[in-house]
Amino acid sequence: MKKRKNPKTEGLKVDRGSAGKKNKRAFKGKLISWGYLFPSLAGVLLFFVLPFFVVIYYSMVDNPINNQFVFLDNFVKVATNKAFQQAAYNTMKFSAVAVPLAVILSLLLAMMLECKIPFRSQFRTFFLSPMMVPVASVILIWQVLFHYNGIVNDFTGLFGADKVDWLKSSHAQVVIVILFLWKNLGYNMILFMAALSSIPKDILEVAVLESATPLQIFWHIKIRYLSSTILFVTIMSLINSFKVFREIYLLTGNYPYDSIYMMQHFMNNAFGQLDYQKLSAAAIMMSMVMVILIGILFLTENYFGKDVEG
Amino acid sequence: MKRYRKRILAVLLIGTMVLSLAGCNRSSSDAGNQVKKDFYYVPEYHDLELASDYIGETAVVGNTLYLYGSSWNEETGESINSMYQYDFLSGQSSELPVDFDGNDSVQQMCEDSEGNIVMIMSRYAPSVLEDAAGTEDADQQDDDSTGAEDNDEADETSGESVALSKKTVAGSVISEEDAADEGTYEAVEYTSYIELWKINSEDGSTIVKTDIKPVFEDADNAYVQYMTIDNEDNVYLSDGNSNIYVLDKDGNKICTISVENWVENLFATKEGKVFMRTWGNNGMAVKPVDIQKKSLGEDVTSENLNGNGNSYNQNYYKGLEKGILGSDNNGVFIYDFETDVREDLFSWLDADINSDEVSEIGQLSDGRIWAILRDYSEEKTKYSLVYLTKTPASEVPQKEELLFGTMWLNQNVRKSIIDFNKSNAKYHISVKEYSTDDYMTGLTQFNNDITSGNGPDIIDISDIDYKQYVSKGVLENLYPYMEKDGINKEDYLMNVLKAYEVDGKLYGIVPQFYITTTIAKASKVGDTPGWTLNEMLDFVEHSEAENIFQYGSRESIFYYCIYNNIDEFIDWETGECRFNGDDFIRVLEFANKFPEEIDYNSDEGISSKLRSDKVLLMQTSISSVQEYQMMNGLFGEKTTYIGYPNSERKGNLIQPTNGSVALNAKSKNKDGAWEFIKILLSDDYQNSLVSEWGSSWGFPLKKSALDKQFEKDMTPEYYEDENGNQVEQMKTSWGYDDFNMDIYAATQEEIDAVKEIITSAEKTSGSVNEELTNIITEETGAFFKGQKSAKDTADIIQNRIQIYVKENS
Amino acid sequence: MKKRMDIPERIKREDKSKVKKRKKFRQRRLFVKTAIITMIAACFAVLFLMPIVLTVTNSFMSASEISSNYGQVFATTDTGGKTYISEKVNLKFIPDMVSFSQYITVLFKSPEYLFKFWNSVILVVPIVVFQLLVAALAAYGFTRYRGRIKEIIFFVYIILMLMPYQVTLVPNYLVSDWLNILDTRWAIWLPGIFSPFAVFLFTKYMRRIPISVMEAAQIDGAGEWQIFRRICMPLCKGAMCSVAILIFIDYWNMVEQPLILLSDSEQHPLSVFLSKINEGEVGLAFAVATIYMVPPILVFLYGEDYLVEGITYQGGIKG
Repeated sequence: MKKRKNPKTEGLKVDRGSAGKKNKRAFKGKLISWGYLFPSLAGVLLFFVLPFFVVIYYSMVDNPINNQFVFLDNFVKVATNKAFQQAAYNTMKFSAVAVPLAVILSLLLAMMLECKIPFRSQFRTFFLSPMMVPVASVILIWQVLFHYNGIVNDFTGLFGADKVDWLKSSHAQVVIVILFLWKNLGYNMILFMAALSSIPKDILEVAVLESATPLQIFWHIKIRYLSSTILFVTIMSLINSFKVFREIYLLTGNYPYDSIYMMQHFMNNAFGQLDYQKLSAAAIMMSMVMVILIGILFLTENYFGKDVEG
Repeated sequence: MKRYRKRILAVLLIGTMVLSLAGCNRSSSDAGNQVKKDFYYVPEYHDLELASDYIGETAVVGNTLYLYGSSWNEETGESINSMYQYDFLSGQSSELPVDFDGNDSVQQMCEDSEGNIVMIMSRYAPSVLEDAAGTEDADQQDDDSTGAEDNDEADETSGESVALSKKTVAGSVISEEDAADEGTYEAVEYTSYIELWKINSEDGSTIVKTDIKPVFEDADNAYVQYMTIDNEDNVYLSDGNSNIYVLDKDGNKICTISVENWVENLFATKEGKVFMRTWGNNGMAVKPVDIQKKSLGEDVTSENLNGNGNSYNQNYYKGLEKGILGSDNNGVFIYDFETDVREDLFSWLDADINSDEVSEIGQLSDGRIWAILRDYSEEKTKYSLVYLTKTPASEVPQKEELLFGTMWLNQNVRKSIIDFNKSNAKYHISVKEYSTDDYMTGLTQFNNDITSGNGPDIIDISDIDYKQYVSKGVLENLYPYMEKDGINKEDYLMNVLKAYEVDGKLYGIVPQFYITTTIAKASKVGDTPGWTLNEMLDFVEHSEAENIFQYGSRESIFYYCIYNNIDEFIDWETGECRFNGDDFIRVLEFANKFPEEIDYNSDEGISSKLRSDKVLLMQTSISSVQEYQMMNGLFGEKTTYIGYPNSERKGNLIQPTNGSVALNAKSKNKDGAWEFIKILLSDDYQNSLVSEWGSSWGFPLKKSALDKQFEKDMTPEYYEDENGNQVEQMKTSWGYDDFNMDIYAATQEEIDAVKEIITSAEKTSGSVNEELTNIITEETGAFFKGQKSAKDTADIIQNRIQIYVKENS
Repeated sequence: MKKRMDIPERIKREDKSKVKKRKKFRQRRLFVKTAIITMIAACFAVLFLMPIVLTVTNSFMSASEISSNYGQVFATTDTGGKTYISEKVNLKFIPDMVSFSQYITVLFKSPEYLFKFWNSVILVVPIVVFQLLVAALAAYGFTRYRGRIKEIIFFVYIILMLMPYQVTLVPNYLVSDWLNILDTRWAIWLPGIFSPFAVFLFTKYMRRIPISVMEAAQIDGAGEWQIFRRICMPLCKGAMCSVAILIFIDYWNMVEQPLILLSDSEQHPLSVFLSKINEGEVGLAFAVATIYMVPPILVFLYGEDYLVEGITYQGGIKG
């Protein structure tokens, strides 16, 4: 990055005579750039940010009909709600398991396809195909697979295993993780493939020549170069890990087995019951966790991103 | 090229936006109930003062309405048939001389393209038995004609029902039941004739008169329910079975078209196409009738025509300019088959007309809509003609609008609203019916309206879990309003009011209610009402009955045990559930002993089964003293209204007969809304609920009205026998399944018992949360199919409901 | 880039002989390795493809075959003991008899499916197009003249993008109500158009365009619009396609938004409808799902290369 900035500063130095003019132009440009930002900013403010303040307001009144100010009562109520605790725990657990898995497995897949194997581009397409399957057929097929009378139980039954009600037992989270991975590995994989292919070949060759083990190459070179992509994939997976609620919801309804009762269930049900205070308080708490999480990711990227040229 | 492509893209995009915008506008005007309309249809009433008691079929030629009327002449035992001409423009009516016979009746009537009137005429004439050997045949014949007449009675719109059912009394029914007793009765055979008449609408002279009985498949029972005429004057008939008969203009048969299901309607469009309506795979289906191919065409599935799932009483008439003029319970519309365009003219409610009273409608050349209304509330049916004129909103006196929100609009509530609208000068109530598609969507919509502050002013809480709304502060405490207006709550049944109280505040009013309960023999369960679940299970397990109920399936018995007693398994205070406890597993296993499928074709009736202890309990409701009297007879001995199993032993539950209303705390016009609710509490209204023979299906809320009801029930009726003695006469006759009983005046003892049942009810029925029932239904399904053990099922139910309870505690 | 190319060439020249020797040894090992990897990849591919194949092949089964295969799972009420339900669930890829009856029902007998399909198109296409437009402009705004305020705003965008839909549920609903667009398609369109997701991806992409390129253009006298139009947009074509595919697929499958914001089920897209028919008419669901998959597949096949190309430049979160 630094190198690329050079021409600019040089240009400025050379053109010192017209610096005033430049500044004026820069100011005008700045203004114009805000103009470009404007439509989106206005929309986001109107549809996401402003109403969010209303959400904050809701979280501090007793109910939307009486509007009595109760300050933090709702937060206390929600935080002490056992269902909320369960939901928070499940959501965190799910994200903590599913997101790293999604990153690692997709990286492995990407590295597999990096090798010169036949039908590479076909494989790539196949891995991406789950993206296109409508949610409804995903649900259908998952039901056929993991229903109490489903295929998976038939299959494990061949080895004498007991029937397991996959979606209504503590195994449910496994099913959901599989579903999540199935849906998202493909996209993550091509992100990694792209990143892998942009690692400068010369550095790898040099490493090989210097007799670095493949593990060393992977750890010291590839991961370094992939760090920003890893973060990006993490973010995308995090987003998608929240989106998997759609499938969970359609598979199991408002009140699933408690191991897959997510934050979204809690909020969705609160919305269904008109409990805006509960919903708002939960939403704000969730947002705060997100802000912290993203902040950490930012700092991590700053830390790692410094010594790698992107 | 590139530029070109972009332009095409742009045009496409704009096209999409415009199209979808058009869609938006329509739906937004649909959705917004309180949007001011530009036009109203203002009703103007005219009495139809015709000599006949009964007015049946109609036909319209130009601006003249032709009505067929009939009266029953007690003395001659014949009906007096008349044809009336009514000039829409002048409002003058006169009689058209048509050559009717006393045994004639007009089944259907319709105008043709030449302005003549085509009638399907049926006649029952006494016939001579052909030979003595035909006794069995005669019986057969008898049965047949009874069948045909039953058919008539079901279809009350038909002109003959009055006339024919009286004949029934004189004829076959008595001959079956009483002939043996009386011995003196001599059966008279009737033979039916069906004819097609075409008469000149100017002078009533007959143009065509032909026997069409052979056309029909089951000619003796044929009763033409639907008839229409296309532009070529072909006549389409249907007897309500699954055939359509097509005749040419002289009454000669062209063809018979068979339909998979029963024909529900036949109608022609302005363009001359004929359609029929029947039950298809997805509800009502409209199909074109094609006489060239002698078959039906493809379904017209447009929702524009069929309306939403909440539409009933549909009737279609030939349109004035295009398509058809349609009417259903909601309102009047014009539909064009060619373009699939529907134009809603008005809703009956907005015009202050009760759609149940509408019998025929049509459109005049000046655009006005006319409708014939029947009012059954008086002893003699009252007919009136109403003109509805399209009037700009500015010319209609504007009242303050109130919104009545309900999941499904109850007919009596609708009547109350219409009465209110007609009589109240200051307020007008419009109705928003939420669950037109399905309950959950409706509920969501309702919730959205409530939270966004657009909620209805008056809320019908009979189909929603009102306690949830109370805790959100949605509903207004009604006691202060009652006090302000000097309405003393002690004048009403306090236990019923209490059932709708939360923390001493009243949130709902049930003007009329009945009690759902369980009845058992007092000799078996004792005299005191109420039992717990375990007591009930013990009782059943220690007896050797075939079943608990007459039709007790696994599921129904399970639901019976659980759903009115759900709080026994949930502690809302601590957030604990006990669905994996022994009780629940016991219920599961208990229910599982009963058959999965029930044989509804059992020969033995309920009464006999109860008396012989093959069946232990009867799950029923009680809405009148007469019903109580009948139940005692049904059991054959003293009964106890023990109620549903319930941990507090309070299993008799209050159920609203005609909705229960609440006031929205956010309403901008609470006083107006209260005006309406107040009417439901008024003496006038409450006294109007007092009924003969328990025909209003419920008890009034007001004590004085209830006392009046009891008084009425206790007052014996007498008739004078041949010796001049006053003999007590039965008030009515009640039957249930295999049991039939004549009801006489109630004794004080019976009244006291009913009073006791009423006062024992302290809870409302049906407030189990749908989420819970969904979970339980889903999980027990697998158990009842034998796939899972009771323990596993109970564990899963426990797990899932626990989440729900945690969330809401 | 040119400079870097020099290094391997130099190595090659110097150690040609060394490399050759190693190559032979490596080739054999490589073959085994490739075979194993191909096998593993094939296994994964089968797992990944199975649902899509299952959906398509099952759509050619007759209703009775479907209900006999899956009766145990989707116990429908209307079977009423009349139809045969196999004891176990049969997962069949090949229909016993190819039947188009489901398609005939969907396409000809009940136009409601096509109607909902059209609803989907009407809802999704404007969102994709205008979100791209708005996002491209915004991304340009974020890219040029970066400053502290913009960074903070961008951070907010990322937070918003990450929020599960349930968090934005109430805000969305409230605003639609204020603007009086509840129950109209605008309630779906507008929040969709202004969704921060595309802005995020675009910005990240655009920030990778060397600033020098834009500076150079500026010095040549190009205005901001020209820089945006003539430099940024052509360079962003790949990203455009990849973002378009992502948005399209995401909105094509939306379920929650229409359920909450459009009370009139007539306006619901097929995705909502499809998730509702699962229970009753499983056979139809397969056929409808297959039809519903066609647009995403077309979009995908058309843009797959761009998808990869566009993604190449994405990395990191700040850009």
